[in-house]
Amino acid sequence: MITAAKDSRIAYLIEAAVLLLMAMGTVFVFSAGANVSSSYSFRHFYQFTTLKQLFFFPLAVAILYGASRIDYRWFSFNRSGPKRSLAAYMLGVSIVLLAVVLLFGTEKNMARRWLVIPLGPASVSFQPSELAKWSMVFFLAAFLDYFADTVHLFWKRFVPICLIAGLVVGLIVTQDFGTAAFIAMLTFVMLLIGGARWWHFVVPALAAAPVFVAAVMASPTRINRIKAFVSPELASPANLYQAQQSLIAIAGGRTWGKGLGMGISKYGHLPEDTTDFIFSIIAEELGFAGALFVVLVFALLVILGLTVAIRCRDRFGKLLAAGITLTIAIQAAINIGVVTVVLPTKGIPLPFISAGGTSMLLCAAAAGILVNIAKQNPAQILLARRETIRHMTHAAKNESELPTLHRTPTRLLTRV
Amino acid sequence: MKMQPLIVVLHVLMVVVFGLLGWRLFYLQHCQADYYADEAYSSLHAYTRQEPQRGRILDSGGVGGRVLAASNKIQTVFIDPGVLGHWDDVMETAGALQDVLGMGAMEICDMIAERRTRRFVAIKEGITEAQREAIVAANLRGVGIQSQYRRYYPMGALTSHVVGFIGGNTDPNDFDKIGLSGAERSYESLLKGSRGNHVFLVDKRRYPIGMDTKRSVAARDGSSIVLTIDSTIQEFARSALMKQVQAYQAESGAAVVMNPWTGAILALVSLPDYDPLEFGKADIGRLRNRALTDPFEPGSIFKPIVVAGALDKGLLHTTDRIYCEDGYYEKYRIGEWAGHRFGNMTVKAILTESSNIGMAKIGQKMGQKNLYEVVRLFGFGQPTGVDLPGEDAGSLRPTNEWSSYTITRIPYGHEISVTALQIIRAFAILANGGSPVTPHLVRAVVDDKGEVTQVSRRANLAGHLIKQEVAEWVVREALTNVVNEGTGKEAALEKWQTWGKTGTANIATNGKYDTVNYTASFVGGAPADVPQVVTLVTIRKPNKALGKGYSGGRVAAPVFREIMEKTLTYLEKNQR
Repeated sequence: MITAAKDSRIAYLIEAAVLLLMAMGTVFVFSAGANVSSSYSFRHFYQFTTLKQLFFFPLAVAILYGASRIDYRWFSFNRSGPKRSLAAYMLGVSIVLLAVVLLFGTEKNMARRWLVIPLGPASVSFQPSELAKWSMVFFLAAFLDYFADTVHLFWKRFVPICLIAGLVVGLIVTQDFGTAAFIAMLTFVMLLIGGARWWHFVVPALAAAPVFVAAVMASPTRINRIKAFVSPELASPANLYQAQQSLIAIAGGRTWGKGLGMGISKYGHLPEDTTDFIFSIIAEELGFAGALFVVLVFALLVILGLTVAIRCRDRFGKLLAAGITLTIAIQAAINIGVVTVVLPTKGIPLPFISAGGTSMLLCAAAAGILVNIAKQNPAQILLARRETIRHMTHAAKNESELPTLHRTPTRLLTRV
Repeated sequence: MKMQPLIVVLHVLMVVVFGLLGWRLFYLQHCQADYYADEAYSSLHAYTRQEPQRGRILDSGGVGGRVLAASNKIQTVFIDPGVLGHWDDVMETAGALQDVLGMGAMEICDMIAERRTRRFVAIKEGITEAQREAIVAANLRGVGIQSQYRRYYPMGALTSHVVGFIGGNTDPNDFDKIGLSGAERSYESLLKGSRGNHVFLVDKRRYPIGMDTKRSVAARDGSSIVLTIDSTIQEFARSALMKQVQAYQAESGAAVVMNPWTGAILALVSLPDYDPLEFGKADIGRLRNRALTDPFEPGSIFKPIVVAGALDKGLLHTTDRIYCEDGYYEKYRIGEWAGHRFGNMTVKAILTESSNIGMAKIGQKMGQKNLYEVVRLFGFGQPTGVDLPGEDAGSLRPTNEWSSYTITRIPYGHEISVTALQIIRAFAILANGGSPVTPHLVRAVVDDKGEVTQVSRRANLAGHLIKQEVAEWVVREALTNVVNEGTGKEAALEKWQTWGKTGTANIATNGKYDTVNYTASFVGGAPADVPQVVTLVTIRKPNKALGKGYSGGRVAAPVFREIMEKTLTYLEKNQR
């Protein structure tokens, strides 16, 4: 067994990037929550998105560090079988909670997405679909690792996993189309990475297509959103409004922004300004500089995640690292695509930044697991190389004898 | 595909996606920023207007000037019938207002009923501060208070033609009243000021969040103007003229008092006149400032100008004697007034007795070109450039359009039309020793901060249109003699040596002169050595049938005398 190295720069960088994004999120949820007429009262503490986020930030940091201490192999089926894997239980709990929320959930904006647990004067609301999303990623990583040799079998492996995914997506799709579609997409990506044959997807795609069309057609808002996106000139002003306001906010930021807290769009002009459209507020207040910075941090996170996946020496870790990274990245890309009106309007939060406790805490936990993978699989080649160079430098008598980095026989040094 | 390469491909793909999103942001925030700023402007901004206070118009009398026109703020209660949907709402609102405003509820209801479709119905203008507070406290739906400026003219009709009036729109919601006449019109751009615009950033409900200082402009009040007019002298002129116009049942009259050294107009009266606040109700003929809009054939008051020109050009000498054809110049069909028959006359006598034939012969001595030049030199046939709107240039035909009679007619003031202002300017030139002056009305402009920004131009006393000794001879010798021994005896004062010239001109009706309609004029000044003021009085169509006379010496000279006596006394006391 390989022991964890004490030093992992990649782990630090991931932590730094995530903390930076969460800090920006907290600041901007606070900024976007500004309201001229509202008065704060401690009794309604939990109802104020702004204050709630201030409370969630330290909690998310704690969870990030806590999760980074959990050995990611606890989620693997290979460690001691599927029955003792956290991933399997997570998925089980998710499915139960999804069923519960469908039956007893609290309706907000015409959809049952929330479980509200009363806690004295306040209450905690929880979004099971967020948990289900991460559970699917973890479960798929474990499944595809465990059945690595047989994953190409259509009936024995591909169909059962599709049924499980279908159950999760089916429980969510009526209430939260965006998240359901996103989970389906993640399942596809994970299966592709895990070695499923591409032609296997033809069957579920054929099965899913009518369901998808039916789901779209069942909801007039969805049809309108898609229509509005495909042909803006035909859409009603109400459909265009949110997208238009988002563009106004972003364009209004210009190069350096209006200044932190100086945006106007948050004063009722842009709906969902603290949640799905928080990025527009960042772009308005910090301008192109700030918005591009956020995009670059996400891109950096992708590169860091990729490095972790490549360096990881076990199949499960590779699958999980890639799964976590791609989940965060795709979600961020979809969200930014929506607010910049490259994609049709769809309720997907921006990871680490959008207001919403469930999303933020679970993202932090997932990032913590990614950090753990990074810590357990440090860049040993580089470390070894550096040591060697130091020794050789000592031995060198003059500059001409100094070795060059690329000539170092890395193969020999790999297992120091 | 193997797992590792696929992972790499997918991650790199995501980095590319983020790159494309970065490009999208660049496109939105650089290339499209202006477009969306325009799109969003009206939904993100609101503004309130701030009306400037129109500048005051002051006279030069008293200490620091008396107010001739000023704008005061008044509060107007209005109702927006659009907000009061049901008739019951209107009744309720009217009921609530009746006690506060002291108006009948039915009266208020009627006002609204008449203008049901409007969004603004003024209920009462000029409410008191207590009423305003009561209405604000009542917090009535659909009721608002608007402050606006209201123009006042404390001197009323006295300075009506000088000050003018503002108007342009009777809609009470429209503040854009502009000067339509008088100084209000000619100094519109200075008096108006500039409107302020306060731009606010607003939230979705259009409540203000903050002020957009970059786009906001504060209102700037208009500048005030100080006129050369002295309302005391104006009053002397108006009352004297009005008395005579009424006594002789004349059609109209004009009187102008001017400082001959500067061209400053001290009084300018045109009768009939009007109340500036009620200009809309006045007969259109009353609105005309006849001293500058109505050219007339001047008659004999034109004679000193031609004489001065002829003397100046050396074509005539004060010692010359001219044969006056014993009362009838047959070749040119010219007679003398009141059937006088003159023989050989000196130039001085020609002016004193106002001989038409003598003047005709002086004209012939000068020739067409010189006569035309002289008349032109004194500014006839062109506007004086006074700072009042609507000035007429009069008419002086070029020599190629002259008939063979013209050269004998212009010297005694016929076949030429002039305005009262042109005549008094010409006499001011004679009075000041031959220097050009421009009649003007504004002495100074005071901006909204109280700084004097513009001072009236002085006369160019260094240059001379005619030789000083010629101008002095005409005033001190000839025109003084008119008052002392000639046709202008009615203009004489005991205390001061007045001088001037009478004029009684036939009025042509349909191209023919008759013996009923005359213009009676007197123009002159006092004292003779250093004239302080020049004054012109012209009365159109005194009623000859009254049998009291119709000549300039009879009708206009007493008005001149009264104005001069009061004005000189007043000026002496005030030592300005």
